[in-house]
Amino acid sequence: MKRRKFLHQAALTGTAALTCQTSLLQQGQTATNPSPLSTAFPALADAVLNQAEKLGAGFSEFRIGKTTSESLHARESAVRSVDYSEDTGCCVRVLVDGAWGFAASHEINEQEALRLTHTAIAIAREQQGKRLEAVSLEKLTAWKDKWQMPMEIDPFSISLDDKAALLLDINQRALAAGANFCRSGLMQVKEEKWLANSVGSRIEQSRVRIRPYFSVTVIDSKKGGFSNRDSLAAPRGSGYEYVRDYDFKGEVVQAVEEAKEKMAAPGVKSGPKDLVIHPTNLWLTIHESIGHPTELDRAMGYEANFAGTSFVKPELLGKLKYASDLVTVRADRTQKNGLSTTAYDDDGVKTEGQEFNIIDKGLFTNYQMALGQAAMIGKEHSNGCAYADSFSTFPLQRMPNISLQPGEDDSITAEKLIADVEDGIYIVGSGSWSIDQQRYNFQFTGQTFHKIKNGKLDGMYKDVAYQGNSIEFWNSCDGLGGASTYELGGAFNCGKGRPMQSAPVSHGAVPSRFRQVNVLNTQEEGGAKA
Amino acid sequence: MILNEDQIRQLTEKILKRSKADSAVVHISKTDDANLRFANNDITSNAARKLLSLSITSNFGTRSASVQWNQTDDSSLKDAVARSEQMARLAPENPEFMPPLEAQTYASPATFSAASAASGPSELAAWIQPAIDATRAAKVSGAGFLNRKISVNAIANSAGLFAYQPSTTVDFSITARSKAGNGSGWSSCQYTDSHNLSLKPTAQTAVSKALDSRDPAAMDAGKYPVVLEASAARNLIGLLMWSLNQRSSDEKRSFLSSLSKENPIGQNLFGNNATLYSDPTYKAAPGSIFSHDGLANKKTDWIKDGTLKNLFSSRYWAKKQNIQATPYASNVIMPGENHSLEQLIKKVDRGVLITRVWYLRMVQPQSLLYTGLTRDGTFLIENGKISKPINNFRFNESPATLLKRIIASGSPERVLGSEGSMPMHIPPLLVDDFHFSSVSDAV
Repeated sequence: MKRRKFLHQAALTGTAALTCQTSLLQQGQTATNPSPLSTAFPALADAVLNQAEKLGAGFSEFRIGKTTSESLHARESAVRSVDYSEDTGCCVRVLVDGAWGFAASHEINEQEALRLTHTAIAIAREQQGKRLEAVSLEKLTAWKDKWQMPMEIDPFSISLDDKAALLLDINQRALAAGANFCRSGLMQVKEEKWLANSVGSRIEQSRVRIRPYFSVTVIDSKKGGFSNRDSLAAPRGSGYEYVRDYDFKGEVVQAVEEAKEKMAAPGVKSGPKDLVIHPTNLWLTIHESIGHPTELDRAMGYEANFAGTSFVKPELLGKLKYASDLVTVRADRTQKNGLSTTAYDDDGVKTEGQEFNIIDKGLFTNYQMALGQAAMIGKEHSNGCAYADSFSTFPLQRMPNISLQPGEDDSITAEKLIADVEDGIYIVGSGSWSIDQQRYNFQFTGQTFHKIKNGKLDGMYKDVAYQGNSIEFWNSCDGLGGASTYELGGAFNCGKGRPMQSAPVSHGAVPSRFRQVNVLNTQEEGGAKA
Repeated sequence: MILNEDQIRQLTEKILKRSKADSAVVHISKTDDANLRFANNDITSNAARKLLSLSITSNFGTRSASVQWNQTDDSSLKDAVARSEQMARLAPENPEFMPPLEAQTYASPATFSAASAASGPSELAAWIQPAIDATRAAKVSGAGFLNRKISVNAIANSAGLFAYQPSTTVDFSITARSKAGNGSGWSSCQYTDSHNLSLKPTAQTAVSKALDSRDPAAMDAGKYPVVLEASAARNLIGLLMWSLNQRSSDEKRSFLSSLSKENPIGQNLFGNNATLYSDPTYKAAPGSIFSHDGLANKKTDWIKDGTLKNLFSSRYWAKKQNIQATPYASNVIMPGENHSLEQLIKKVDRGVLITRVWYLRMVQPQSLLYTGLTRDGTFLIENGKISKPINNFRFNESPATLLKRIIASGSPERVLGSEGSMPMHIPPLLVDDFHFSSVSDAV
């Protein structure tokens, strides 16, 4: 039997074999053989919620979470690590007399779940008589549902051998094209959650995300120095079909050529320039300068100690001219392949029907909200934006998929936007990012910076960063690509909260043109002459 | 309840006993975590967590794979070991594979306090109340995070290596903001021992900064002398520490290549008053006594009087280059000159005091150029005194070249950074020509 064929079979029979064993955690789930966690969940939930009610909780919630991850990382001809992990446990969240209590454990059994209930109630009661204001919740709808993210190929069903072969092939092609180094990797996560609350919801959900990457490095052995170019492949809420269909073979060769061209390119001259920004770069600018500032918890001071607050004050709702009239930015947790896509958020709110515009034709129209926040701005209920990154973490308001909507004219492409630029830069791929704690001042780099001269591309620049103020930047937008140019970017690891929680989120965008943005030469910024 | 050394040893033996691989390595981490967040002068979440991580790396020849899980029942253990072996057999040969280390000799850990380990999750609300009372009394808005962790970390392998380390930490940080939103201050502290814990002084520092920083004056970007308070200094130095990598340097893709065409070790690259070292037994900010692969963390000079002394080197790279393997730092110490903060300020004719830096991200790896912002207490220094609050700035700076521009330093402090929690004992620094690239409107 050929090795690869054996591996496919091993993976398949391995799954089947595991379902016959008694382990609570590693059994596969099929239509006829539900996960033991699914089986255990209803009785545990009833026990916790009944106990919480008896002990005086006004609202209570029981959640089981299981996160399964696999990752492979390679550099040059070596697969340096192959890792698999399962992180499983349960938590109890209670609201007692207007104070939250939360307790979590890796152990899942009735005795432990009841202990967590007592602990959560006790630490909520510690706050009695000390609070200025009670936490109050809006009315939640009860849902009984099971949801599984649709996908063609479960990435956990693909053999390690195939995945390793893909990475080593990418690296080999990079080296053959003239790279000195190449690292690559593939990360995949399956997130399963079971949620019950005292309102009556019983929700079971499962979703998958996948992140392929590579990065090539070329060295200038004569002059010294080096240049990198990272893959433009975005992480996705998708099955393995995304990796199967992505042209890594073509992109890695292009990446090496572009890294060489960038290394030999002249440094950019600092000053205002028109920018045409590709979706592979713009998604991150959307994330930082629109996504985070419009989180209601930030605006209300709840994240002041770490992530920060926001320039988007509540009194600006419906009044702030956030962007030019062309710009509409939509939040949507039902979007296909979105990393934030799910049927119910971690407060138990159904996401379908909660889609909303954050910016509507340039005007700021709504915040992202989690449970207990809507009343702060006179709204009746949240818009389904809660997420907890583990069984052991308290749900926070986190970003839905937040995307720049395409322009009305579908004939507009990046080339057409470039054609109307005399002196500018076409920026592709995301690089470095940073923004202040109220989200005014940002600075971004990219992967490649293509010089635009009199409406045409004319070689590359290196050492480019663009810096600006969120409102000025978005109001300088005067051109958007059409629907056919729309691409989804995103990240696995948006950080927020304490303890830090890591959330996956996607941002769709089209190529967009911005006028007179401040461009920096990063060599000069570091003290060297360009 | 944390596991003691005997319990951990028994658990590692139980896992290793099941292994059929050529060799295997087991890691265990168990944490009893209590944390409390507050904002707008009220507690917003209060949590108790019991966490476990078990992992086994199975090796067949140079094929290797790791499985991590968090259940202690026999069946889960058996499945995890079997899965790691199945995956390892399927993994490609790794030309950089290194076999597990034999037994090592470790220093005695200095990271554990019985008083901290005896504290329960319900004590956090009592610890925090004086801090919240301080912000309420000053009529400012307080937000912060208090985290008490009791943990054990262990490694064992089939070659006979075993290491165990219990740890306790209490981390506290607080931001105070004026009600009008025109002033903001921050402060932090980190302890191994919660005995006689008092968070009120830290809260009062944040309150003072919030009140003193109201209505900041406009100041242009440019290059100024700055006094970096200890938290700001630790963030910038931490970035340098992660980049001290032997392999990157040898492969000519390190910032070190821009400083020296030759072997950088032994060269004075950083200025005569720059010294950084690690010592896991250093009591004021103790670190881990073993690295992830089981190497003993020892006292290690990284930079001494400006001269680069050591770089991190993996066991594989060390063998290939015929040098000694050097684990990453598990703590960082910078001996200061013991000037008080006031004495540092007194040395400045016109410059800027930076309380905290934020959102530091790499801009250019070739020169180790990072960007970031000031926040929560930025003040103008004139004629040796703080004269007024000023706007915040974005800066573009390289921590490598920054170390060449240290004019003077204060007494080391154990404080928190904006990101990362590695224990560091770093003094406030007076640094010349700090490059503020633009003004930030954030308060």
